[in-house]
Amino acid sequence: MYDVCIIGSGAGGSPIAYELSNAGFNVVVLEKGKNYKEEDFSKDELAVSRRDMFTPPLKEQKHIINEYSQSGKFVRYDGEESGWNFWNGSMVGGSSNIMSGYFHRMKPKDFKLLSSYGEVKGANVIDWCISYDELEPYYDKVEKVVGVSGKIVKHKFAEPRSTPDLPYPMLETNGVTDWFDKACKDLKFTAIPTPRAVLSQNALGRYGCYYSNFCGSYGCASGAKGSARAALLQKCDAEIITDAFVYKLDSKDGKITRAYYYTKHGIKHIINAKIFVLSAQAIESSRLLLNSKNEEFPNGMANSSGELGKNLVFSAGGSGSGRFIFEELTKEQQKALMQPGLFFNRSLQDWYDYDDGCRTYKGGTIDFLFEHQNLISRVNREMYDEEGNLLWGEKLADKIHKTLTTSRVLTFEVFNDWLPTDNCNVSVDDEAKDKWGVPVGVINLNSHPQDLEVGEHLAKKAVEVLEGMGAVEIDYSISASPPPNLVAGGCRFGDNPKTSVLDKNCKAHDLENLYVTDASFMPTGGSVPYTWTIYANSFRVADVIKDKLKASKH
Amino acid sequence: MDYLKRRAFLKAGFLSSAVIVMNGCSVFVITTSRDTIKVLQNDLFPKAKELGINTADYIGIVLKHSHISQEDKEYLKNGVKWLNESAVEMYKKQYTKLLAHERQEVLKSFAQESWGSSWLDTILRYTFEASFGDPIYGSNNNKAGWKWLEFTGGEPRPKKVYL
Repeated sequence: MYDVCIIGSGAGGSPIAYELSNAGFNVVVLEKGKNYKEEDFSKDELAVSRRDMFTPPLKEQKHIINEYSQSGKFVRYDGEESGWNFWNGSMVGGSSNIMSGYFHRMKPKDFKLLSSYGEVKGANVIDWCISYDELEPYYDKVEKVVGVSGKIVKHKFAEPRSTPDLPYPMLETNGVTDWFDKACKDLKFTAIPTPRAVLSQNALGRYGCYYSNFCGSYGCASGAKGSARAALLQKCDAEIITDAFVYKLDSKDGKITRAYYYTKHGIKHIINAKIFVLSAQAIESSRLLLNSKNEEFPNGMANSSGELGKNLVFSAGGSGSGRFIFEELTKEQQKALMQPGLFFNRSLQDWYDYDDGCRTYKGGTIDFLFEHQNLISRVNREMYDEEGNLLWGEKLADKIHKTLTTSRVLTFEVFNDWLPTDNCNVSVDDEAKDKWGVPVGVINLNSHPQDLEVGEHLAKKAVEVLEGMGAVEIDYSISASPPPNLVAGGCRFGDNPKTSVLDKNCKAHDLENLYVTDASFMPTGGSVPYTWTIYANSFRVADVIKDKLKASKH
Repeated sequence: MDYLKRRAFLKAGFLSSAVIVMNGCSVFVITTSRDTIKVLQNDLFPKAKELGINTADYIGIVLKHSHISQEDKEYLKNGVKWLNESAVEMYKKQYTKLLAHERQEVLKSFAQESWGSSWLDTILRYTFEASFGDPIYGSNNNKAGWKWLEFTGGEPRPKKVYL
């Protein structure tokens, strides 16, 4: 029997695998996808971005999406028919393989959203049951073990740190960042070099970044990117079983007894372990528990509270862009603009909270980055004229050539809180099933009107910077559409077993030996991408499990 | 979706199988997807031919791809039928038998309809995949598409095609 069985090998599960196996415990990791190595990761746009090689075909595995409007009515979408895809990275290391690795810590007030900003009508805002101070040592640990590069600058909302700076120096940046820094200085904004989970030099038994020009969406061929696979699973002896889709957990007397999984050919297997850790990414973790009904838990495993699947959150906000065109640049500036490979790496957090004269709002983060370098996608964007008519022939070729060779787009992404609401949650469908015959997850989507207001406020600040830099064609879109790669909640942690699924250590209140360590535990999401917090929290829970297993040995 | 409403799907689905174009109630002509798409791609994006890029053969990869749904493949072939029907309507000839300026007139008329425009959009996307995808897929002749756009590609390049 294994000491620990981990379901899902991404950022939520891997710190547990790393810590526990390095402490001498017998750990098995079950992963639905394949195991890729550095040498398998090429920059093949057709495979990665056009044919979605890292996610399952929707005809085999899909979601049902119910999109709610403010009136409480909803429209049902079948993921297969609509092409609405909520899968991220189905492989060893999960979507951390293909993240961009924009790493920001949550801030102390993010842990106390209710007591810092008060109630928001229609939103289920609460304080976390742990504080920033309790997580800080683990944010620090991630910097060192997974590897975070950058440079800490002082600013109004900078969070306290136990060390003065990040352990790895900044990655090299494109000359256009100077234009950004100057524009920010003129506007009295504080330009922050974006910390990245990308090694800027050889370290930790991995190679440093080689500036391939294709980071986000792609696997890293040098191991510089701090994916759960490169940074953790490849640095420990945990056993990894691939092609293992866990579809049910069973329990007896308040303990998980076994996990059941299918291979892609439908062969059924059973795993026994002392402790089970679930980390299949928020939506799938809730789905598995809801699909694991038994006599003890008729409403789903660990669901005596009825809170399982509730308060799903994404990251609110949106994105925008501006274009720099050769006509308005000197020869030197043109050269700097077109320099491939180097990063942009700038963020703004000047409005992490802000006042509109009546009250203080929780704001968020803006990251700036060059438009993704995928060539086919960039060409595809040139197919229509300004009136929306399809172009072809010479006209089309001329437009493509001019746009791609004499201009470049700088984009920005806004991250603000997706407020938790009653109509945003996970359930399972009564009819739709995946290729194994297992009920698919239903994603009930709802966004709070405040999410859009805050996003707009931040986007307008980003626009000021782009204007200051001399960009043209400036545009942005703040919307209620959820980014599938930024998802959290569904198994809130808390001190009260009646109102939360997990306790403060991310152990199910209802079960002695079940932990959930992906982003499911988060009651609110903060206004930064989630990966750093998922890693940090999972390292924290690893310490708890380690103590528990050590105690049981004595 | 428009194209779903307009026509029931055909069952057969490969490049060389016959596409039957009706003129009213009688069979007007039998053509193949390959011939029509090849001529059409050159009408939409002649730059590819100029660069020595074989976009027509790439459609063969699309039609066999494990990560492209059967529906999408059938849609490609249905569009061939629609385009030829437009050609027959306007000039009483199949698309490939028309003169260059006649084909342009057919395209203009065809692109006015949302179902026509969506299908041309799809053909263009696959044409761009052929022209600007990694040369390992066999169409982006010696990186000619990349060189035209001063694009260097990302390293490492794939060692095998993903089908």
